[in-house]
Amino acid sequence: MSLINTRAINLLERSLDAASLRQKVISNNIANIDTKGFKRSEVSFEETLHEALSGETLSGRITNERHIPIGTPSLQNVRPSVLTDKSSSMRLDGNNVDIDVEMARMATNQLQYNALIQRINGKLSSLKYAISEGKR
Amino acid sequence: MGLFDGINISASALTANRLRLDVTASNIANANTTRGADGQPYRRRIVTLGERTPFQQALAQEMNSVASPGQGVRVTGIIKDSAPFKLVYDPNHPDAVKDVNDPAYGYVRMPNVDIAAEMVDMISASRSYEANVTAINAAKGLAMKALEIGK
Repeated sequence: MSLINTRAINLLERSLDAASLRQKVISNNIANIDTKGFKRSEVSFEETLHEALSGETLSGRITNERHIPIGTPSLQNVRPSVLTDKSSSMRLDGNNVDIDVEMARMATNQLQYNALIQRINGKLSSLKYAISEGKR
Repeated sequence: MGLFDGINISASALTANRLRLDVTASNIANANTTRGADGQPYRRRIVTLGERTPFQQALAQEMNSVASPGQGVRVTGIIKDSAPFKLVYDPNHPDAVKDVNDPAYGYVRMPNVDIAAEMVDMISASRSYEANVTAINAAKGLAMKALEIGK
């Protein structure tokens, strides 16, 4: 835990990583809107992060470095993962990309990204404020 | 995975959809071409699309080591529609069937292009193009916003 590498900034950074990965995944879904047999993917991150933050779920105790982690990972190990929805089908050609849903998700993701940037800037400007001894 | 992957993914789709538009334009332009380079009427061209996944990435994904999106879309081929030609009765046409024993005597083989279907295909391609332009703008917006960190 250093001046910059606080828990809050660390979490914000990782959420930013997840949001930018999500942008790429949505771009890929939109790019393949007319590809026969393509199945859409999505990024799962917030749910795992929330579980890790609340600490209310079970997780296996690791007493040896060769143990396989089970249950919710610890906060340090929460990583965004890409999941492919192979179960549904929207059209006759097997493609399951819904353009409206993807565009809406892209807009939401943009807002979320901007919000995260704003928060990280807030944190950094607090630091700057402290460094300049309260003189703006 | 780089900063501009999102833009590259959408750019691949822009290329693919532009090709779809070009092929549609060629189909419409040749809707009445009764004699092509091979002496046959024009056959409708169909663009087939496929997902672009480089081997390295597919392997890494199967090994479950990295979370990565796909790499966009690619054109897998331009194939000729095998549907039969339309027959139009016009005995004076230079390309009409001249063989009296042929049941299609006096008929002209016209290309198997359906203008209405081509127009629908054209709109589909241009809408896809627009959707991908929106996605590029969104990716650009995110990158621009990231430059504001620490300002």
